[in-house]
Amino acid sequence: MNAVVRYLRDVFSGAWSLAMGMSVTLRYMFKPVSTVQYPREAMPLPEVYRGHIELRRFAETGSHGCVACGECFRICPSGVIKVQGLKEEADRPNRAVFYFIDFSRCSLCGLCVEVCPESALAFSKVYEEVGVSRYSTVVDLIARLESQGA
Amino acid sequence: MLRKTLTEDSFYLNLGPQHPSTHGVLHLLLKLDGERILECKPLVGYSHRAHEHMGQNRTYLQFLPNTSRMDYLGGLCYNHAYCLAVEKACGIEVPERARYIRTVCAELNRISSHLLWFGAYLMDLGAFTPFLYAFDDREDILAILGEVTGSRLTYSYCRFGGVNRDLNQNFLDGTKAFIPKLRKRLKDYRTLVTKNIIFLNRTKGIGTVSAELARDWALTGPNLRACGVAYDLRRAEPYSIYPELEFEIPTATAGDCYDRYWVRMAEMEQSLRIVEQALGRLPEGPVKAAGVPQWIQPPAGDYHFSYESPRGHLGIYFVSDGGRVPLRMKWRTPSFSNLSILSEILPGTLVADTIAILGSIDVVIPEIDR
Ligand code: SF4
Ligand code: SF4
Repeated sequence: MNAVVRYLRDVFSGAWSLAMGMSVTLRYMFKPVSTVQYPREAMPLPEVYRGHIELRRFAETGSHGCVACGECFRICPSGVIKVQGLKEEADRPNRAVFYFIDFSRCSLCGLCVEVCPESALAFSKVYEEVGVSRYSTVVDLIARLESQGA
Repeated sequence: MLRKTLTEDSFYLNLGPQHPSTHGVLHLLLKLDGERILECKPLVGYSHRAHEHMGQNRTYLQFLPNTSRMDYLGGLCYNHAYCLAVEKACGIEVPERARYIRTVCAELNRISSHLLWFGAYLMDLGAFTPFLYAFDDREDILAILGEVTGSRLTYSYCRFGGVNRDLNQNFLDGTKAFIPKLRKRLKDYRTLVTKNIIFLNRTKGIGTVSAELARDWALTGPNLRACGVAYDLRRAEPYSIYPELEFEIPTATAGDCYDRYWVRMAEMEQSLRIVEQALGRLPEGPVKAAGVPQWIQPPAGDYHFSYESPRGHLGIYFVSDGGRVPLRMKWRTPSFSNLSILSEILPGTLVADTIAILGSIDVVIPEIDR
Protein backbone atom coordinates (compact mmCIF):
# COMPACT_ATOMS: atom_id res chain seq x y z
CA MET A 1 0.00 0.00 0.00
CA ASN A 2 2.73 2.35 1.06
CA ALA A 3 4.64 1.66 -2.14
CA VAL A 4 1.60 2.47 -4.23
CA VAL A 5 1.12 5.79 -2.45
CA ARG A 6 4.76 6.64 -2.90
CA TYR A 7 4.60 5.69 -6.53
CA LEU A 8 1.56 7.84 -7.15
CA ARG A 9 3.09 10.74 -5.27
CA ASP A 10 6.21 10.46 -7.43
CA VAL A 11 4.13 10.44 -10.58
CA PHE A 12 2.18 13.50 -9.55
CA SER A 13 5.11 15.54 -8.26
CA GLY A 14 7.05 14.58 -11.40
CA ALA A 15 4.23 15.62 -13.67
CA TRP A 16 3.83 18.85 -11.70
CA SER A 17 7.54 19.68 -12.10
CA LEU A 18 7.28 19.10 -15.82
CA ALA A 19 4.19 21.32 -16.05
CA MET A 20 5.96 24.08 -14.13
CA GLY A 21 8.94 23.80 -16.45
CA MET A 22 6.67 23.96 -19.43
CA SER A 23 5.07 27.13 -18.07
CA VAL A 24 8.48 28.81 -18.09
CA THR A 25 9.04 27.76 -21.67
CA LEU A 26 5.59 28.99 -22.64
CA ARG A 27 6.20 32.33 -20.99
CA TYR A 28 9.38 32.75 -23.02
CA MET A 29 7.53 31.94 -26.20
CA PHE A 30 5.85 35.32 -25.98
CA LYS A 31 9.00 37.25 -25.21
CA PRO A 32 10.85 39.11 -27.97
CA VAL A 33 13.16 36.97 -30.08
CA SER A 34 16.80 37.30 -29.15
CA THR A 35 18.30 35.56 -32.18
CA VAL A 36 20.14 37.76 -34.64
CA GLN A 37 19.87 36.47 -38.21
CA TYR A 38 23.55 36.87 -38.75
CA PRO A 39 24.41 37.20 -42.42
CA ARG A 40 21.37 39.38 -42.98
CA GLU A 41 21.65 41.33 -39.74
CA ALA A 42 24.80 42.28 -37.92
CA MET A 43 25.49 42.79 -34.25
CA PRO A 44 26.68 46.27 -33.28
CA LEU A 45 30.40 46.18 -32.64
CA PRO A 46 31.76 47.78 -29.50
CA GLU A 47 33.77 50.95 -29.82
CA VAL A 48 36.97 49.19 -28.83
CA TYR A 49 36.49 46.10 -30.98
CA ARG A 50 39.78 44.42 -31.83
CA GLY A 51 39.92 43.40 -35.47
CA HIS A 52 43.24 43.08 -37.25
CA ILE A 53 45.51 46.07 -36.95
CA GLU A 54 45.66 48.81 -39.52
CA LEU A 55 47.57 52.03 -39.94
CA ARG A 56 45.70 55.15 -38.97
CA ARG A 57 45.33 57.95 -41.45
CA PHE A 58 46.47 61.26 -40.06
CA ALA A 59 44.43 64.22 -41.24
CA GLU A 60 47.44 66.58 -41.31
CA THR A 61 49.45 64.50 -43.74
CA GLY A 62 46.67 62.47 -45.35
CA SER A 63 48.83 59.43 -44.83
CA HIS A 64 50.06 57.06 -42.17
CA GLY A 65 52.35 58.13 -39.35
CA CYS A 66 54.62 55.11 -39.01
CA VAL A 67 58.30 55.96 -38.62
CA ALA A 68 59.44 52.33 -38.86
CA CYS A 69 60.94 52.36 -35.40
CA GLY A 70 60.27 48.63 -35.10
CA GLU A 71 58.77 48.71 -31.61
CA CYS A 72 55.67 46.85 -32.72
CA PHE A 73 57.78 44.30 -34.56
CA ARG A 74 59.83 43.68 -31.41
CA ILE A 75 56.88 43.26 -29.05
CA CYS A 76 54.64 41.15 -31.27
CA PRO A 77 54.45 37.73 -29.58
CA SER A 78 53.65 35.95 -32.81
CA GLY A 79 56.20 37.72 -34.96
CA VAL A 80 53.70 38.64 -37.63
CA ILE A 81 54.89 42.19 -38.35
CA LYS A 82 57.51 43.17 -40.86
CA VAL A 83 58.20 46.84 -41.31
CA GLN A 84 60.73 48.49 -43.57
CA GLY A 85 61.59 52.17 -43.39
CA LEU A 86 63.33 54.57 -45.70
CA LYS A 87 65.07 57.85 -44.96
CA GLU A 88 63.55 60.24 -47.45
CA GLU A 89 64.97 63.49 -46.15
CA ALA A 90 68.10 63.83 -44.06
CA ASP A 91 66.60 65.89 -41.24
CA ARG A 92 63.28 64.06 -40.98
CA PRO A 93 62.58 60.73 -39.32
CA ASN A 94 62.30 57.55 -41.33
CA ARG A 95 59.09 56.68 -43.07
CA ALA A 96 57.73 53.19 -43.45
CA VAL A 97 57.44 52.00 -47.03
CA PHE A 98 56.34 48.45 -46.33
CA TYR A 99 54.27 47.25 -43.43
CA PHE A 100 53.36 43.61 -43.73
CA ILE A 101 51.28 41.62 -41.29
CA ASP A 102 50.40 37.98 -41.51
CA PHE A 103 46.92 38.12 -40.09
CA SER A 104 46.49 34.35 -39.88
CA ARG A 105 49.00 34.22 -37.03
CA CYS A 106 48.03 37.43 -35.25
CA SER A 107 46.63 36.74 -31.80
CA LEU A 108 44.86 40.13 -31.66
CA CYS A 109 46.53 40.88 -28.38
CA GLY A 110 46.85 44.57 -29.04
CA LEU A 111 50.39 44.93 -27.70
CA CYS A 112 51.57 46.52 -30.97
CA VAL A 113 48.87 49.19 -30.78
CA GLU A 114 49.77 49.97 -27.19
CA VAL A 115 53.49 50.18 -27.73
CA CYS A 116 53.56 52.39 -30.83
CA PRO A 117 55.19 55.71 -29.89
CA GLU A 118 53.55 57.50 -32.83
CA SER A 119 50.07 56.05 -32.19
CA ALA A 120 50.20 55.02 -35.80
CA LEU A 121 48.28 51.80 -35.32
CA ALA A 122 44.63 51.11 -34.65
CA PHE A 123 42.29 48.15 -34.72
CA SER A 124 40.08 47.73 -37.72
CA LYS A 125 36.51 46.56 -37.35
CA VAL A 126 36.79 43.93 -40.05
CA TYR A 127 35.90 40.42 -38.98
CA GLU A 128 34.71 38.80 -42.15
CA GLU A 129 37.97 37.77 -43.72
CA VAL A 130 38.18 35.02 -46.29
CA GLY A 131 41.00 34.01 -48.55
CA VAL A 132 41.83 31.32 -51.02
CA SER A 133 45.33 30.59 -49.79
CA ARG A 134 47.30 31.16 -46.65
CA TYR A 135 49.12 33.99 -48.38
CA SER A 136 45.95 36.00 -48.78
CA THR A 137 46.17 36.86 -45.10
CA VAL A 138 49.50 38.58 -45.62
CA VAL A 139 48.66 42.20 -46.27
CA ASP A 140 50.70 45.30 -46.79
CA LEU A 141 48.97 47.77 -44.53
CA ILE A 142 50.43 50.76 -46.36
CA ALA A 143 49.07 49.56 -49.68
CA ARG A 144 45.78 48.84 -47.93
CA LEU A 145 45.63 52.35 -46.53
CA GLU A 146 46.38 53.87 -49.92
CA SER A 147 43.81 51.74 -51.69
CA GLN A 148 41.17 53.00 -49.28
CA GLY A 149 41.49 56.49 -50.76
CA ALA A 150 41.88 59.74 -48.90
CA MET B 1 34.58 2.14 -32.64
CA LEU B 2 34.34 -1.31 -31.14
CA ARG B 3 37.28 -3.50 -30.44
CA LYS B 4 36.54 -7.06 -29.43
CA THR B 5 38.93 -8.28 -26.79
CA LEU B 6 40.04 -11.65 -25.58
CA THR B 7 37.42 -12.17 -22.92
CA GLU B 8 33.97 -13.04 -24.12
CA ASP B 9 31.80 -10.48 -22.38
CA SER B 10 33.80 -7.30 -22.22
CA PHE B 11 34.79 -5.04 -25.02
CA TYR B 12 36.37 -1.66 -25.46
CA LEU B 13 34.57 1.45 -26.55
CA ASN B 14 36.32 4.63 -27.58
CA LEU B 15 34.25 7.55 -26.43
CA GLY B 16 35.73 10.46 -28.29
CA PRO B 17 37.96 12.12 -29.30
CA GLN B 18 35.26 13.33 -31.64
CA HIS B 19 32.17 12.77 -29.60
CA PRO B 20 29.77 15.67 -29.14
CA SER B 21 29.43 15.17 -25.40
CA THR B 22 33.12 15.04 -24.58
CA HIS B 23 33.33 18.83 -24.93
CA GLY B 24 36.33 18.95 -27.15
CA VAL B 25 38.89 16.39 -28.05
CA LEU B 26 38.79 14.17 -25.00
CA HIS B 27 39.23 10.48 -25.50
CA LEU B 28 37.76 8.08 -22.96
CA LEU B 29 38.72 4.47 -23.38
CA LEU B 30 35.93 2.50 -21.74
CA LYS B 31 35.98 -1.19 -21.01
CA LEU B 32 32.39 -2.31 -21.02
CA ASP B 33 30.40 -5.28 -19.99
CA GLY B 34 27.22 -4.61 -21.89
CA GLU B 35 26.17 -1.17 -20.68
CA ARG B 36 28.18 -1.31 -17.50
CA ILE B 37 31.61 0.23 -17.29
CA LEU B 38 34.42 -1.92 -15.95
CA GLU B 39 37.27 0.44 -16.53
CA CYS B 40 37.80 3.95 -17.77
CA LYS B 41 40.96 5.53 -19.00
CA PRO B 42 40.88 9.21 -19.97
CA LEU B 43 43.39 9.88 -22.75
CA VAL B 44 44.38 13.49 -23.13
CA GLY B 45 46.77 15.53 -25.22
CA TYR B 46 44.92 15.95 -28.50
CA SER B 47 44.92 19.72 -28.31
CA HIS B 48 48.36 20.17 -26.87
CA ARG B 49 49.82 23.46 -28.08
CA ALA B 50 52.90 23.72 -25.88
CA HIS B 51 51.77 26.84 -24.05
CA GLU B 52 54.22 26.24 -21.23
CA HIS B 53 57.06 25.94 -23.67
CA MET B 54 55.92 29.09 -25.44
CA GLY B 55 56.10 30.80 -22.07
CA GLN B 56 59.75 29.85 -21.89
CA ASN B 57 60.74 31.41 -25.17
CA ARG B 58 59.02 34.77 -24.98
CA THR B 59 58.98 37.60 -22.51
CA TYR B 60 56.49 37.88 -19.67
CA LEU B 61 54.30 40.40 -21.45
CA GLN B 62 54.35 38.49 -24.71
CA PHE B 63 53.06 35.40 -22.94
CA LEU B 64 49.98 37.26 -21.73
CA PRO B 65 47.81 36.57 -24.81
CA ASN B 66 48.49 32.85 -24.44
CA THR B 67 46.95 32.73 -20.98
CA SER B 68 43.40 33.31 -22.16
CA ARG B 69 43.81 30.59 -24.75
CA MET B 70 44.41 27.84 -22.24
CA ASP B 71 40.97 28.03 -20.75
CA TYR B 72 38.93 29.79 -23.38
CA LEU B 73 35.91 30.00 -21.09
CA GLY B 74 37.70 31.69 -18.24
CA GLY B 75 40.14 33.78 -20.25
CA LEU B 76 39.90 36.82 -18.04
CA CYS B 77 40.46 34.79 -14.88
CA TYR B 78 43.61 33.36 -16.42
CA ASN B 79 44.79 36.81 -17.47
CA HIS B 80 44.13 38.03 -13.98
CA ALA B 81 45.93 35.09 -12.38
CA TYR B 82 49.00 35.48 -14.56
CA CYS B 83 49.22 39.22 -13.90
CA LEU B 84 48.85 38.66 -10.16
CA ALA B 85 51.60 36.05 -10.27
CA VAL B 86 54.06 38.31 -12.09
CA GLU B 87 53.10 41.30 -9.96
CA LYS B 88 53.76 39.29 -6.84
CA ALA B 89 57.16 38.30 -8.16
CA CYS B 90 58.14 41.85 -9.06
CA GLY B 91 56.42 43.58 -6.16
CA ILE B 92 54.29 45.80 -8.36
CA GLU B 93 51.57 47.76 -6.53
CA VAL B 94 48.29 47.76 -8.40
CA PRO B 95 46.09 50.87 -8.10
CA GLU B 96 42.88 50.39 -6.14
CA ARG B 97 40.57 51.03 -9.07
CA ALA B 98 42.35 48.52 -11.27
CA ARG B 99 41.98 45.85 -8.62
CA TYR B 100 38.25 46.43 -8.46
CA ILE B 101 37.88 46.43 -12.23
CA ARG B 102 39.79 43.18 -12.55
CA THR B 103 37.68 41.50 -9.92
CA VAL B 104 34.43 42.63 -11.51
CA CYS B 105 35.54 41.39 -14.90
CA ALA B 106 36.86 38.10 -13.55
CA GLU B 107 33.60 37.42 -11.72
CA LEU B 108 31.55 38.21 -14.82
CA ASN B 109 33.79 35.81 -16.65
CA ARG B 110 33.17 33.18 -14.01
CA ILE B 111 29.43 33.59 -14.44
CA SER B 112 29.69 33.27 -18.21
CA SER B 113 31.78 30.14 -17.80
CA HIS B 114 29.25 28.58 -15.45
CA LEU B 115 26.40 29.57 -17.76
CA LEU B 116 28.02 27.86 -20.68
CA TRP B 117 28.60 24.81 -18.55
CA PHE B 118 24.97 24.86 -17.45
CA GLY B 119 23.72 25.01 -21.03
CA ALA B 120 26.08 22.40 -22.36
CA TYR B 121 25.49 20.06 -19.45
CA LEU B 122 21.75 20.05 -19.88
CA MET B 123 22.20 19.57 -23.57
CA ASP B 124 24.22 16.44 -22.74
CA LEU B 125 21.36 15.26 -20.60
CA GLY B 126 18.94 15.81 -23.42
CA ALA B 127 17.36 19.16 -22.54
CA PHE B 128 17.66 21.64 -25.33
CA THR B 129 15.74 24.69 -24.07
CA PRO B 130 17.96 25.69 -21.11
CA PHE B 131 20.90 25.74 -23.47
CA LEU B 132 19.32 28.51 -25.50
CA TYR B 133 18.42 30.54 -22.41
CA ALA B 134 21.89 30.15 -20.97
CA PHE B 135 23.48 31.28 -24.20
CA ASP B 136 21.20 34.28 -24.29
CA ASP B 137 22.43 35.30 -20.84
CA ARG B 138 26.01 34.51 -21.70
CA GLU B 139 25.71 36.63 -24.81
CA ASP B 140 24.88 39.59 -22.55
CA ILE B 141 28.06 39.05 -20.54
CA LEU B 142 30.19 38.70 -23.64
CA ALA B 143 28.73 41.92 -25.00
CA ILE B 144 29.41 43.72 -21.70
CA LEU B 145 32.98 42.45 -21.54
CA GLY B 146 33.45 43.19 -25.22
CA GLU B 147 32.60 46.83 -24.52
CA VAL B 148 35.67 47.24 -22.38
CA THR B 149 38.09 44.56 -23.57
CA GLY B 150 37.30 44.66 -27.28
CA SER B 151 37.10 40.92 -27.54
CA ARG B 152 34.68 38.16 -26.70
CA LEU B 153 36.77 35.24 -25.52
CA THR B 154 40.49 35.90 -25.65
CA TYR B 155 40.53 39.09 -23.70
CA SER B 156 44.17 40.02 -23.01
CA TYR B 157 42.72 42.74 -20.84
CA CYS B 158 44.82 42.76 -17.68
CA ARG B 159 48.29 44.21 -17.76
CA PHE B 160 51.09 44.05 -15.22
CA GLY B 161 50.14 46.75 -12.77
CA GLY B 162 46.54 47.21 -13.86
CA VAL B 163 44.28 46.89 -16.86
CA ASN B 164 44.71 48.37 -20.27
CA ARG B 165 41.49 50.38 -20.47
CA ASP B 166 39.17 52.05 -18.00
CA LEU B 167 35.54 50.97 -17.70
CA ASN B 168 33.16 52.94 -19.86
CA GLN B 169 29.56 53.94 -19.35
CA ASN B 170 28.24 51.14 -21.56
CA PHE B 171 29.92 48.61 -19.32
CA LEU B 172 28.52 50.10 -16.14
CA ASP B 173 24.99 50.45 -17.55
CA GLY B 174 25.11 47.00 -19.08
CA THR B 175 26.20 45.36 -15.85
CA LYS B 176 23.61 47.23 -13.84
CA ALA B 177 20.88 45.98 -16.14
CA PHE B 178 22.32 42.51 -16.32
CA ILE B 179 22.42 41.72 -12.59
CA PRO B 180 18.64 41.83 -11.96
CA LYS B 181 18.04 40.12 -15.30
CA LEU B 182 20.21 37.15 -14.42
CA ARG B 183 18.70 36.95 -10.94
CA LYS B 184 15.31 36.57 -12.54
CA ARG B 185 16.66 34.03 -14.97
CA LEU B 186 18.23 31.97 -12.19
CA LYS B 187 14.79 31.75 -10.63
CA ASP B 188 13.43 30.48 -13.94
CA TYR B 189 16.22 27.95 -14.16
CA ARG B 190 15.23 26.67 -10.77
CA THR B 191 11.68 26.00 -11.96
CA LEU B 192 12.74 24.73 -15.31
CA VAL B 193 15.67 22.53 -14.38
CA THR B 194 16.51 22.19 -10.70
CA LYS B 195 13.08 20.83 -9.80
CA ASN B 196 12.63 18.87 -13.01
CA ILE B 197 11.95 15.23 -12.26
CA ILE B 198 13.92 13.90 -15.23
CA PHE B 199 16.93 15.99 -14.32
CA LEU B 200 16.74 14.90 -10.69
CA ASN B 201 16.55 11.25 -11.62
CA ARG B 202 19.50 11.53 -13.91
CA THR B 203 21.76 13.36 -11.49
CA LYS B 204 20.84 12.50 -7.89
CA GLY B 205 23.09 9.83 -6.47
CA ILE B 206 25.08 9.55 -9.71
CA GLY B 207 28.84 9.86 -9.64
CA THR B 208 29.10 10.29 -5.90
CA VAL B 209 32.46 11.47 -4.62
CA SER B 210 33.23 11.49 -0.92
CA ALA B 211 35.28 14.25 0.64
CA GLU B 212 38.23 11.89 1.24
CA LEU B 213 38.18 10.68 -2.34
CA ALA B 214 38.04 14.23 -3.56
CA ARG B 215 41.06 15.14 -1.45
CA ASP B 216 42.95 12.08 -2.64
CA TRP B 217 42.44 13.02 -6.25
CA ALA B 218 43.15 16.70 -5.64
CA LEU B 219 39.73 17.82 -6.77
CA THR B 220 39.25 21.55 -6.49
CA GLY B 221 36.69 24.19 -7.26
CA PRO B 222 32.97 23.49 -7.36
CA ASN B 223 33.65 19.76 -7.60
CA LEU B 224 35.33 19.77 -4.20
CA ARG B 225 32.78 22.10 -2.65
CA ALA B 226 30.01 19.77 -3.77
CA CYS B 227 31.54 17.15 -1.45
CA GLY B 228 31.14 19.41 1.53
CA VAL B 229 34.61 20.91 1.76
CA ALA B 230 34.31 24.68 1.93
CA TYR B 231 37.65 25.35 0.29
CA ASP B 232 37.78 28.36 -1.95
CA LEU B 233 41.09 30.09 -2.67
CA ARG B 234 39.32 33.43 -2.68
CA ARG B 235 38.90 32.87 1.05
CA ALA B 236 41.67 30.40 1.86
CA GLU B 237 44.51 32.37 0.27
CA PRO B 238 42.84 35.69 -0.46
CA TYR B 239 44.16 37.87 -3.24
CA SER B 240 43.07 41.08 -4.92
CA ILE B 241 40.08 42.68 -3.15
CA TYR B 242 38.30 39.51 -2.06
CA PRO B 243 38.99 40.01 1.67
CA GLU B 244 36.98 43.24 1.52
CA LEU B 245 33.95 41.64 -0.09
CA GLU B 246 31.10 39.72 1.42
CA PHE B 247 30.20 36.46 -0.20
CA GLU B 248 29.53 32.91 0.85
CA ILE B 249 31.11 29.71 -0.31
CA PRO B 250 28.25 27.47 -1.37
CA THR B 251 28.76 23.86 -0.42
CA ALA B 252 26.68 20.71 -0.72
CA THR B 253 27.00 17.40 1.06
CA ALA B 254 26.47 14.39 -1.19
CA GLY B 255 29.05 15.09 -3.87
CA ASP B 256 26.94 13.70 -6.69
CA CYS B 257 26.17 15.24 -10.09
CA TYR B 258 23.21 17.15 -8.70
CA ASP B 259 25.32 18.73 -5.98
CA ARG B 260 27.97 19.80 -8.43
CA TYR B 261 25.22 21.38 -10.47
CA TRP B 262 23.71 23.05 -7.43
CA VAL B 263 27.04 24.47 -6.23
CA ARG B 264 27.70 26.10 -9.58
CA MET B 265 24.24 27.63 -9.71
CA ALA B 266 24.69 28.99 -6.21
CA GLU B 267 28.12 30.28 -7.14
CA MET B 268 26.65 32.36 -9.91
CA GLU B 269 24.46 34.11 -7.36
CA GLN B 270 27.48 34.78 -5.16
CA SER B 271 29.42 36.12 -8.13
CA LEU B 272 26.56 38.48 -8.86
CA ARG B 273 26.79 39.68 -5.29
CA ILE B 274 30.52 40.27 -5.68
CA VAL B 275 30.04 42.22 -8.89
CA GLU B 276 27.34 44.31 -7.31
CA GLN B 277 29.42 45.14 -4.23
CA ALA B 278 32.58 45.87 -6.17
CA LEU B 279 30.83 48.15 -8.62
CA GLY B 280 29.06 49.87 -5.73
CA ARG B 281 32.32 50.99 -4.20
CA LEU B 282 34.41 51.38 -7.30
CA PRO B 283 37.07 53.93 -6.32
CA GLU B 284 38.36 56.67 -8.58
CA GLY B 285 41.94 56.81 -9.70
CA PRO B 286 44.34 55.46 -12.28
CA VAL B 287 43.81 52.01 -13.78
CA LYS B 288 47.44 51.21 -14.37
CA ALA B 289 50.50 51.53 -12.17
CA ALA B 290 53.05 53.99 -13.48
CA GLY B 291 56.58 52.96 -14.23
CA VAL B 292 56.07 49.28 -15.03
CA PRO B 293 58.80 48.45 -17.53
CA GLN B 294 57.80 46.96 -20.84
CA TRP B 295 60.35 44.15 -20.55
CA ILE B 296 59.67 43.05 -17.04
CA GLN B 297 62.49 41.26 -15.20
CA PRO B 298 61.53 39.53 -11.95
CA PRO B 299 64.46 38.97 -9.60
CA ALA B 300 66.03 35.54 -9.83
CA GLY B 301 64.12 32.88 -7.96
CA ASP B 302 61.03 30.76 -8.26
CA TYR B 303 57.51 32.00 -7.74
CA HIS B 304 54.16 30.41 -7.23
CA PHE B 305 50.68 31.82 -7.20
CA SER B 306 47.31 30.17 -6.64
CA TYR B 307 44.08 31.41 -8.11
CA GLU B 308 40.48 30.25 -7.92
CA SER B 309 39.51 29.82 -11.53
CA PRO B 310 35.93 28.89 -12.48
CA ARG B 311 37.03 25.26 -12.48
CA GLY B 312 39.18 25.21 -9.37
CA HIS B 313 42.72 25.70 -8.19
CA LEU B 314 44.90 27.28 -10.84
CA GLY B 315 48.56 27.27 -9.88
CA ILE B 316 51.16 29.27 -11.74
CA TYR B 317 54.78 28.48 -11.13
CA PHE B 318 57.70 30.08 -12.86
CA VAL B 319 61.42 30.30 -12.39
CA SER B 320 63.25 33.46 -13.25
CA ASP B 321 66.97 33.91 -13.72
CA GLY B 322 66.55 37.65 -13.55
CA GLY B 323 66.21 37.97 -17.29
CA ARG B 324 63.41 38.97 -19.59
CA VAL B 325 62.36 35.43 -20.38
CA PRO B 326 61.29 32.93 -17.71
CA LEU B 327 63.50 29.88 -17.32
CA ARG B 328 60.61 27.59 -16.57
CA MET B 329 56.87 28.13 -16.80
CA LYS B 330 54.49 25.63 -15.29
CA TRP B 331 50.72 25.82 -14.96
CA ARG B 332 48.71 23.60 -12.70
CA THR B 333 45.32 23.63 -14.33
CA PRO B 334 42.30 22.41 -12.38
CA SER B 335 40.57 20.34 -15.06
CA PHE B 336 43.47 17.93 -15.29
CA SER B 337 43.08 16.70 -11.72
CA ASN B 338 39.31 16.95 -11.91
CA LEU B 339 39.26 14.73 -14.95
CA SER B 340 41.53 12.08 -13.52
CA ILE B 341 38.95 11.12 -10.91
CA LEU B 342 36.84 9.62 -13.71
CA SER B 343 38.91 6.45 -13.66
CA GLU B 344 37.91 6.05 -10.02
CA ILE B 345 34.20 6.88 -10.09
CA LEU B 346 33.13 5.59 -13.50
CA PRO B 347 33.59 1.82 -12.98
CA GLY B 348 30.22 0.32 -12.11
CA THR B 349 28.11 3.00 -13.73
CA LEU B 350 26.23 2.91 -17.02
CA VAL B 351 27.27 4.55 -20.25
CA ALA B 352 24.44 7.07 -20.05
CA ASP B 353 25.65 8.07 -16.58
CA THR B 354 29.16 8.53 -17.93
CA ILE B 355 27.88 11.46 -19.92
CA ALA B 356 26.15 12.89 -16.87
CA ILE B 357 29.25 12.49 -14.71
CA LEU B 358 31.69 13.78 -17.29
CA GLY B 359 29.53 16.82 -17.92
CA SER B 360 29.08 17.55 -14.23
CA ILE B 361 32.84 17.68 -13.68
CA ASP B 362 33.09 20.59 -16.11
CA VAL B 363 36.32 19.99 -17.93
CA VAL B 364 37.78 22.28 -20.54
CA ILE B 365 40.02 20.19 -22.75
CA PRO B 366 42.43 22.84 -24.08
CA GLU B 367 43.16 23.70 -20.49
CA ILE B 368 44.06 20.10 -19.67
CA ASP B 369 46.27 19.73 -22.71
CA ARG B 370 47.65 23.28 -22.71
S1 SF4 C 1 55.69 51.05 -33.41
FE1 SF4 C 1 54.44 52.45 -34.62
S2 SF4 C 1 55.90 53.83 -35.57
FE2 SF4 C 1 57.07 52.08 -34.79
S3 SF4 C 1 57.21 50.71 -36.58
FE3 SF4 C 1 55.40 50.08 -35.41
S4 SF4 C 1 53.70 51.23 -36.32
FE4 SF4 C 1 55.58 52.18 -37.02
S1 SF4 D 1 47.84 42.34 -32.23
FE1 SF4 D 1 49.47 41.20 -31.16
S2 SF4 D 1 49.86 39.42 -32.46
FE2 SF4 D 1 48.71 40.87 -33.70
S3 SF4 D 1 50.25 42.04 -34.80
FE3 SF4 D 1 49.81 43.17 -32.92
S4 SF4 D 1 51.30 42.46 -31.43
FE4 SF4 D 1 51.30 40.98 -33.12
